[in-house]
Amino acid sequence: MLDFMANAISPFNLLLALLGVAAGTIIGSIPGLTATMAVAVLVPLTFTMSPDSALILMGAIYTGAIYGGAYAAILLNTPGTPSAIATTFDGYPMAKRGDGDLAVTIACLSSVIGGLVGALALLFLAPPLARAALAFGPVEYFWLAVFGLSLIAALSTGDFLKGLIGACFGLLISTIGVSETSAEVRFTFGSRVLLGGVETVSALIGLYCIPVLIDLVATPDRHLDEAGGGLRGFRLREAARAMLQNGVNVLRSSVIGTMVGALPGAGGSIAGLVAYSEARRNGRGAERYGEGNPGGIVATESANNATVGGGFIPTLVLGIPGTPPDAVILGALLVQGVRTGPTLFQGSADIVYTFIFGLLLATVLMLPVGLLIGRFAYGAILKAPKAALVPVVAFMTVIGTFAIRNNVSDIYVMIVLGVIGWLAAKRGFGASPIVLGLILGSIAEQGFVQSWTIGSAIGNLWGQFFGRPISLVIIALTILSFLYPFWPQIRRIAGRGDDATPAEAVDRPRAGARMVGWDLLSLAAFGAVAGLVLVQSATLNAEAAVFPRTIATVMAVVVAASVAKLLLTRHVTGEPVRGSLVRSAAVPVAMLLAVAAIPLVGFAVAAALLGLLLIVPAQHESFSRRGSAILAGSVLAVILGAVVLFDSGLNVPLP
Amino acid sequence: MRRTILTHVAAAILAVGAAQAQDFPSGSVDYIIPFGPGGESDITARLQQPYFQDLYGEQLVVSYQPGGGGAVGWAQLNGMAEDGTVIMGINLPHIIVKPKQGNVGFETEDLAAVYWFHYTPDAILVRADSEIETLDQLIEQAKANPRQVIFSGSGKGSANHLAQLQFDEMADIETTYVAFDGTGSAVTALLGGQVTAEWGYTTVGSGQGDEVRMLAVAMEERHPAFPDVPTFKELGYDLVSGAYRGIAVPEGASEDVKRQVSDAIAAINADPKFQQKMIDGGFAMSDVPYGEEMDAFMAEKAEEYLPAAREAGIIE
Repeated sequence: MLDFMANAISPFNLLLALLGVAAGTIIGSIPGLTATMAVAVLVPLTFTMSPDSALILMGAIYTGAIYGGAYAAILLNTPGTPSAIATTFDGYPMAKRGDGDLAVTIACLSSVIGGLVGALALLFLAPPLARAALAFGPVEYFWLAVFGLSLIAALSTGDFLKGLIGACFGLLISTIGVSETSAEVRFTFGSRVLLGGVETVSALIGLYCIPVLIDLVATPDRHLDEAGGGLRGFRLREAARAMLQNGVNVLRSSVIGTMVGALPGAGGSIAGLVAYSEARRNGRGAERYGEGNPGGIVATESANNATVGGGFIPTLVLGIPGTPPDAVILGALLVQGVRTGPTLFQGSADIVYTFIFGLLLATVLMLPVGLLIGRFAYGAILKAPKAALVPVVAFMTVIGTFAIRNNVSDIYVMIVLGVIGWLAAKRGFGASPIVLGLILGSIAEQGFVQSWTIGSAIGNLWGQFFGRPISLVIIALTILSFLYPFWPQIRRIAGRGDDATPAEAVDRPRAGARMVGWDLLSLAAFGAVAGLVLVQSATLNAEAAVFPRTIATVMAVVVAASVAKLLLTRHVTGEPVRGSLVRSAAVPVAMLLAVAAIPLVGFAVAAALLGLLLIVPAQHESFSRRGSAILAGSVLAVILGAVVLFDSGLNVPLP
Repeated sequence: MRRTILTHVAAAILAVGAAQAQDFPSGSVDYIIPFGPGGESDITARLQQPYFQDLYGEQLVVSYQPGGGGAVGWAQLNGMAEDGTVIMGINLPHIIVKPKQGNVGFETEDLAAVYWFHYTPDAILVRADSEIETLDQLIEQAKANPRQVIFSGSGKGSANHLAQLQFDEMADIETTYVAFDGTGSAVTALLGGQVTAEWGYTTVGSGQGDEVRMLAVAMEERHPAFPDVPTFKELGYDLVSGAYRGIAVPEGASEDVKRQVSDAIAAINADPKFQQKMIDGGFAMSDVPYGEEMDAFMAEKAEEYLPAAREAGIIE
């Protein structure tokens, strides 16, 4: 063992781990650049290295990228990687109120602990955990996705029915394109743009980031509150106190992350959501979850970094990639002639152990590197004037979306979804339920159709869905997680807990006809979507139709219930539209114009135009001529620098 | 004097010929994989990468354009550079079956296939601890329990699925096929005991080693890495099938470019070290170059896939 440890900390490997973590953190912080991509870019580089060095470099980049996803989640409400979705729930509210620096530090500490737990599990428990993961069949994946969906009950506290409608909408979006389970082309309306489906990461960027940008230009208010007078260092002491308060949480979440990571095909986003859901149910703390409780960040960030070590368990033991980046690493090793799987631990144990120690090392290095980069990221976002922040972030969403699968039409989809997300949020349909539906949709559908096929073949559908012990445990947890947010109401109905004042129900204001009208209109729009899907499903084969038809039916029923409730109570949820509508509209319009210009003038020029165009609506202060020149110059410099980096550094074939 | 002029002319002609032959590659070549990273298309592209660089001293840059099971990339291929600087991975049966399933943005004839360089032969696998030892035992069990022998496999209308359909017909059995979204999850289902067996590839056999038992492989001859595993042919079933991977260029590329790309891939395929790496990985080599051979091969495969797919109701 000591040999392997010594090998792992050879100066060269140490340097690789350091560089890998730093590069990974930066790549992960940019929405659209995922851990998978960060690792894939490195593959040719590793051909010239020994297998263990290559593994250490890729593991370091991977773990750094998963952590880096937290920055954008906390500071811009946009998960940099899908595994950081649940980080936005509490991270962004914390940043909003001026605790962004604290949130970033907490994310770093949690990521390191989670990463260590995952890597230690890989070191000591890999074979038994890999065997345990195999007990998860299609039914269990289906129920796991349903468990993830149960979070909508918690995420849509304003109006549960609207949350349900949003989730159904997200589930339906996930079925667009060529179906995985039936190979049928669904809901593309003959458009080539939709053939490949709505890419999850670009949808995330659109739904989360575009509304932030639109609201940012609408008013002159600062993006993040600057409580406490600017930069206050790392705030390590406060962060450590928060970690201690969340001791159980961080351990539970790390274990959840390790186990979900070990399930091939589940991945960091589900691990983060499951851990968040569990933390919320057991949650303590001054703030409520979803309103800036540090526990939410602790749960998500420790869980998603634990999936790194956890995901390597099936990758190394079974030769089956646990997460998408693992698939790339597995391929790179194969090129080198190293075959992971049952033979690896016998044949090339030295490589495996050197790698695991390298991963531990990279995780430890993430502490200083992550704190430093995190502090820089916070300072940059906090201090940047709006007129610089908006164009640069808008540009990042465009180039990031393109880079996911080198496709211009994904950018249009991203912007359109962003506008839908903004409109929906104003009417009380939060982005998070839609996103949950979108990311869990394909897992739920595949698990459902596969279980259905197997159940029909053995003639025991009921037993297939409800007769397996692991399924039953997940179902029980789902019911618990689903009902928990309604616990006060349940207690009231049960006649206990007289102290619980039903204030909400009584004091709810009755909205005017105008607001009710808007709400009816938005409900009608979602109802129309459900109707359209039902009509279209009629032409599909049974396997392709069963899932969307079921979801659309549920959606139609919920819309009807929501309309009835609205007319009876006249209670309207939603966010007020603030600031200038013209400025708000300028954001998506400028972005669409710039994307339309890409085929005409090329990516670099279009990006530069987008940057300059967006300075105008984002500028609320008046600048001197010199100030404006500096502003425009620096925006252009950042944009063109990034274009060069993507083009030659990351091999993104920009048009 | 005369002789010198002649030699000059000859030298000039040779130089022109040489210059033309060196047109490819004119610089680094973009190799687009219409799937995400980490799959077999990616891995084999990565295996080709260093050999291309050795041969031509130019970079072969792999990038990804996933979506719609390859359709998004293929639908865009003909709009790309036609000078040999862009090549794209193509797959069978995908490019023959997909366009028949609906509007996927391209037709089989739109893709200028220039080489098929390898394939992953279909194979039936069971867990090592399975009571099924031979193909005959599997068939027996399937005959005794119609539809209850359940196979996992990668994709619907895919090589695995078409092989299952063809074999059911040949052996006169009725089995159930459960489609997974890739080889990885199909293997997981096999190892976890969720299914009886898997319609997989020989690559699974080399990846899983002693954990699985291959009952038969769909090749003409036995696979060099698995000398003990019989072919379906030996056992009396005329099944030779698998997922073929190749290279296409935009349709508008000149004959020269098509031939040059075809020659380059052939040169990589001819390298014994490359062959050994492919075989160790469980792949099987295939050499179908541009020209008449390609046309005949495509016609033969369409003849093989389409009736099976039609019968199964995958296409109309």
